[in-house]
Amino acid sequence: MDHHDLGGSPNTTPISQAQHPLMPWELRVDALLLCLSDPARPGGALMTVDELRRGIESLPADAYATWGYYSRWLHSMLSILAEKGVIDRDAIERRARELADAHEREHA
Amino acid sequence: MSAAHEHADRSDEFLEQAFREALLAAGVLTQQSVDERVEFMYSRNPALGARVVARAWVDPGFKTRLLADGSAAVRELGIEVGALKLVVVENTAEAHNVIVCTLCSCYPRMLLGLPPEWYKSAPYRSRVVAQPREVLAEFGTHISNDRAVRVHDSTADMRYLVLPMRPEGTEGLTEAELQTLVTRDGMIGTVKL
Amino acid sequence: MSARFSPGDAVRVAERESAGHVRTPRYIRGKRGTVERVCGRFGNPEELAYGRAGAAVTLYRVRFAQSDVWPHYRGAARDTIDVELYEHWLEKA
Repeated sequence: MDHHDLGGSPNTTPISQAQHPLMPWELRVDALLLCLSDPARPGGALMTVDELRRGIESLPADAYATWGYYSRWLHSMLSILAEKGVIDRDAIERRARELADAHEREHA
Repeated sequence: MSAAHEHADRSDEFLEQAFREALLAAGVLTQQSVDERVEFMYSRNPALGARVVARAWVDPGFKTRLLADGSAAVRELGIEVGALKLVVVENTAEAHNVIVCTLCSCYPRMLLGLPPEWYKSAPYRSRVVAQPREVLAEFGTHISNDRAVRVHDSTADMRYLVLPMRPEGTEGLTEAELQTLVTRDGMIGTVKL
Repeated sequence: MSARFSPGDAVRVAERESAGHVRTPRYIRGKRGTVERVCGRFGNPEELAYGRAGAAVTLYRVRFAQSDVWPHYRGAARDTIDVELYEHWLEKA
């Protein structure tokens, strides 16, 4: 569970300064987290940045190492909000597969 | 990027949509609040930080206040930074500063906007604390050994801005012209201006 | 409750194992540094990460000589690293 604690870890990969523009869905994930964690939100914050971090740190080591930055955020938010009973994660994942299948059919 | 990783990103686009739809349907948030937040994120960018740096270069009183309480000083310029707790660290002849968040990617987003990908990357987070001079060299930055390199690991509630040294030969420039010299990476500390 | 440490105090980071969400990097545990400033009191992230409010804790910036942190540090003798640390992770050194 410490795979996020990277300070001083051996890592010889050169630091790439390549910058890819963020996809709209990635920006929306960021915005969703800000909305949900805003203390001024009507009804108060639904989650905290600390919970987001804990959720990310709880991802398996290979997911942490290889998934995109906002993919990790999204999966953490799903876990945290499911944990709190705010969302039905299974229903969301089913719906996501429906959307993916529909997209595949349209573009086949 | 591996094929499996690309697939994960593609399916996450649909997952985000399904997630957002569920939150909207449950009345947990409104589309308007999401749109407003995206708009706001675009308004935060390094030009805001450049205004702060240029003002500190021309106004010694402002600079003193900035180093004492970064958020309060930034608000003097009409930049609303919400709950940001900003610590400003000054580059001098004696010391060069560089910022990292080894544990995740904490960054003064309310002032500078979203961090660059390299700042969030495993190699930067792993190496800059232990081998800062080597990492700076990867950015083309060389600090002589008679200057200290000070690393700041943003592990908790503070967020950091490096106040770069004012470049030589800029005495005749206006404040607006000075702003154009200030770069994002200069305010993170991986480059000298 | 007032802050236990003041700027200039010599402190040592606890050498503790941790379970759950903590914001004390492993590389700094057990190391000796000097309080650079008292940052204020904040919610404990170790509690907040699990949806618990918890009691507020005092946060410090602590400055360490790099040569005290890394056994084979190759930079300059005066290089430093500043880390934000919560009071319950610090002991008088």
